[in-house]
Amino acid sequence: MALLDGLEKLGFHIPSLIVFLANFAILLAILYFFAYKRILAMLDQRSASIRESLSEADRVRQESTQAREELEAQLGETRRAGQQVLEEARQAAERFREEEQARARAEAEDFLRRARAQIEQERNQAIEQVREHFADLAITAAERVIDRSLDRDAHRDLIERALSESAEAQRN
Amino acid sequence: MAISGSAKGILVLVALAVLALGLAGFITGAIGAAFFDRESFLPTPGVHLAPQEILGSEPGHELKEGGFDFVITNTILSSVVTSLVLILLFVGGTARMSVVPGRLQSLLESIVEALLGFVESVMGAGKGRGIFPLAATIFLFVAFNSWLALIPIYQSFGVIKDDKIYATFLRPAGTDLNMPLALALISFFVVEYLGFRAHGVGYLGEFIRFGQLLRGRILTGLIDLFVGVLEAVSHVVRVVSFTFRLFGNMTAGEILLLVTSFLVTFIFSVPFYGLELMVGLIQGVIFAALTVVFAAIAVAPHEGEEEH
Repeated sequence: MALLDGLEKLGFHIPSLIVFLANFAILLAILYFFAYKRILAMLDQRSASIRESLSEADRVRQESTQAREELEAQLGETRRAGQQVLEEARQAAERFREEEQARARAEAEDFLRRARAQIEQERNQAIEQVREHFADLAITAAERVIDRSLDRDAHRDLIERALSESAEAQRN
Repeated sequence: MAISGSAKGILVLVALAVLALGLAGFITGAIGAAFFDRESFLPTPGVHLAPQEILGSEPGHELKEGGFDFVITNTILSSVVTSLVLILLFVGGTARMSVVPGRLQSLLESIVEALLGFVESVMGAGKGRGIFPLAATIFLFVAFNSWLALIPIYQSFGVIKDDKIYATFLRPAGTDLNMPLALALISFFVVEYLGFRAHGVGYLGEFIRFGQLLRGRILTGLIDLFVGVLEAVSHVVRVVSFTFRLFGNMTAGEILLLVTSFLVTFIFSVPFYGLELMVGLIQGVIFAALTVVFAAIAVAPHEGEEEH
């Protein structure tokens, strides 16, 4: 056992070896359960959370891009719809204006026509009256001049004929 | 200019202090004693390869050869202190974890992340979590055990006999053959366990190679058989190389510091302390890295075996 003797000279000692083995095993167990596990779990948790936040950020960015596009599309549509409404309103107003104008013109023309008709009628009446008075007046004046009574009916007929002839001549 | 002037003054003061300490160190050290032909102020350092008992039948004595009694040696105490420091640091620092880490949590997380990154770079992404706790603990234990011993007060208390410290209470555990041996055995058994777990009984085929011989190829069969034996020997030799690499480095580092501070006291040994900081780190990395590499080799698919 020269080898063992040599080792013992260097300090080889079985009980010490056992103590060192036990010491290291206990240290390993404690560090494993109370340090490495916690630290590794924390490292894993952190890397997982970083990965998660990165993908979350990506997702949010995509969503916001999508939302913006949607909003822009909606905005464009709204603008188009607004323009359409405006155009329709403008057309309606135009139509309304034209209609009103036409109605007003028609009314005015109607009014004018009626007024003219009335004037014509009144004029005719006045002429008729004047003619009647004129005939009487002419006969009365003639009676005064000749100082005798005239055949009223015959004269009236004469005067009437003359007047209508003159009226006809005037008209022509 | 005032700031620069005062800074210059401080620099001159520091340089003078260093010079004075160097001179005093030279005079009081062993070289100075020889130079001035007088007795050294310091006792001649004794090198004890075996650790010394602190609690036991004979406190202060080296372990008896061939003893089977459980005794507390200064190296055991040192390894317990190292373990306590690591547990306080890691368990305390991770007791209240938050997603937004504080300084200590950040530090611990970066240590763990760096170690895990290394393990996964060897084992392949996502496959390193099995061996990671062992590798990380080996690294932390070896490195911290070595670094703690560099704290100047660490080896200043001990069993006093005849007005001299006969044996310090704490001595870096790496200088005790049993500590590297314990780590090497754990590393060895874990690696072989991983090999069996990955390949089943077929893992033995790495070492017992009758395949070629049974197929009637005598020459290649014999060579293959020999290769298997070599493989088996190499696995056992790993334990030896693990053990003596760490033991040798730690012991040599201790002796180097002892000798340099004996030859010239005070600041002469400071660069060697820096060197020992590096050595502690490197030994921790080597021990952990080799364990991971051996594990990776053990679980890797063998020749003629399909990937699975």
